[in-house]
Amino acid sequence: MAATFFGEVVKAPCRAGTEDEEEEEEGRRETPEDREVRQQLARKREVRLLRRQTKTSLEVSLLEKYPCSKFIIAIGNNAVAFLSSFVMNSGVWEEVGCAKLWNEWCRTTDTTHLSSTEAFCVFYHLKSNPSVFLCQCSCYVAEDQQYQWLEKVFGSCPRKNMQITILTCRHVTDYKTSESTGSLPSPFLRALKTQNFKDSACCPLLEQPNIVHDLPAAVLSYCQVWKIPAILYLCYTDVMKLDLITVEAFKPILSTRSLKGLVKNIPQSTEILKKLMTTNEIQSNIYT
Amino acid sequence: MASRYDRAITVFSPDGHLFQVEYAQEAVKKGSTAVGIRGTNIVVLGVEKKSVAKLQDERTVRKICALDDHVCMAFAGLTADARVVINRACVECQSHKLTVEDPVTVEYITRFIATLKQKYTQSNGRRPFGISALIVGFDDDGISRLYQTDPSGTYHAWKANAIGRSAKTVREFLEKNYTEDAIASDSEAIKLAIKALLEVVQSGGKNIELAIIRRNQPLKMFSAKEVELYVTEIEKEKEEAEKKKSKKSV
Repeated sequence: MAATFFGEVVKAPCRAGTEDEEEEEEGRRETPEDREVRQQLARKREVRLLRRQTKTSLEVSLLEKYPCSKFIIAIGNNAVAFLSSFVMNSGVWEEVGCAKLWNEWCRTTDTTHLSSTEAFCVFYHLKSNPSVFLCQCSCYVAEDQQYQWLEKVFGSCPRKNMQITILTCRHVTDYKTSESTGSLPSPFLRALKTQNFKDSACCPLLEQPNIVHDLPAAVLSYCQVWKIPAILYLCYTDVMKLDLITVEAFKPILSTRSLKGLVKNIPQSTEILKKLMTTNEIQSNIYT
Repeated sequence: MASRYDRAITVFSPDGHLFQVEYAQEAVKKGSTAVGIRGTNIVVLGVEKKSVAKLQDERTVRKICALDDHVCMAFAGLTADARVVINRACVECQSHKLTVEDPVTVEYITRFIATLKQKYTQSNGRRPFGISALIVGFDDDGISRLYQTDPSGTYHAWKANAIGRSAKTVREFLEKNYTEDAIASDSEAIKLAIKALLEVVQSGGKNIELAIIRRNQPLKMFSAKEVELYVTEIEKEKEEAEKKKSKKSV
């Protein structure tokens, strides 16, 4: 028990378990209605992988169906914009599938008729080298859906001879450091890699006690367990919405082995990026 | 730890933070960039214009406002908070003129705004103002002034400063390029402000708004054409500098 500033007494959370075992037993008895609701919710939250053109689901996981040597995953709108402007316009990429999922973060409530513009995780491969894959993930994958996502994409027994690169952003206030956040040179990059990733990163490694969250963490953990070489480039920024300076902070990655050979025309890419910025500007009058 | 001490503004955390004030400073970073430069005979305020919705009247989206004939300010952060602060400051300017028969000094009105902001960091049930302001003007003694206030209620005099999104990048540019030569003439000071903004503004000159005050003259807002003229001049100078560099290396 703890007393707060306002004089109220609240129960402090205890990791050892609750004292009231009896109350829990009663709560555990589930009615058929509860079971039905739970099953409905599980169906609603299922992660489905399908081909958009034929609207058919993929029977096996994506990387079991197609051999893969390189897989670049962009999670979040700034990382997605970076890959769109710098990598996707330097070659011909063909869409091989998309992951459709619903959770409380989605704007739509209809799960069966998500339109083609709302496919949140799209997978592409390079036409000239079909073992190079790219994933543009601009939705939030909830904790209970991450394992499903990994299974549907990587499968239950992934190959070890591929290299994974993950790009994502995080707000700079999440970065734990002894300096004050005002003096940090945001946006800045940090990297975290699995044990089997032998190349060096193009930026400093993520210092303790900082941790990675959500889908990027799930992918990295999966790769570490399955001994797949993988590296995560995390951009700490103070502007989480689509922002030119944040996207440009990913530029050092263009010179690494992960993206070598995939980027050709950098000045043109910068122009494409600027266009993306202007078309995607969300009108908000709260801040001026 | 933070979650227990950021609910009520009047509570210090064990390590001495007022989290609501620090969070208010994050709100400032959500506003577009504003830069202020103090020259010898001129003060310049430049802001990144936010793109206006198609059906919206552009005149109602203003980041630079006159507080009196000889003082103006630019803000970054919550629009509504800025409106309230600006209204109070304008009233105070006139009230001062009526009671003391002298226009306010730039420092006086800055101190007024800063005191107002500080009051809101020490009141029960209120939140701080989510804006930072750059206040510029000339005093009766003819000296140019530039002050910056932030949500905590502190204010400082600056030679040049930036607030809002990417303020750090702009401030670093100013630290490198603010020299006595750079502010020697009025046009040089204006060019420095525009150059600083071009470092972070996403689509070039057409998204920059500029205002100047010259000694004993009222606030002048630049039209889009006038800003474009300066931007073209800056680009020309850049090209010439690059040509010179390549000649030297050859």
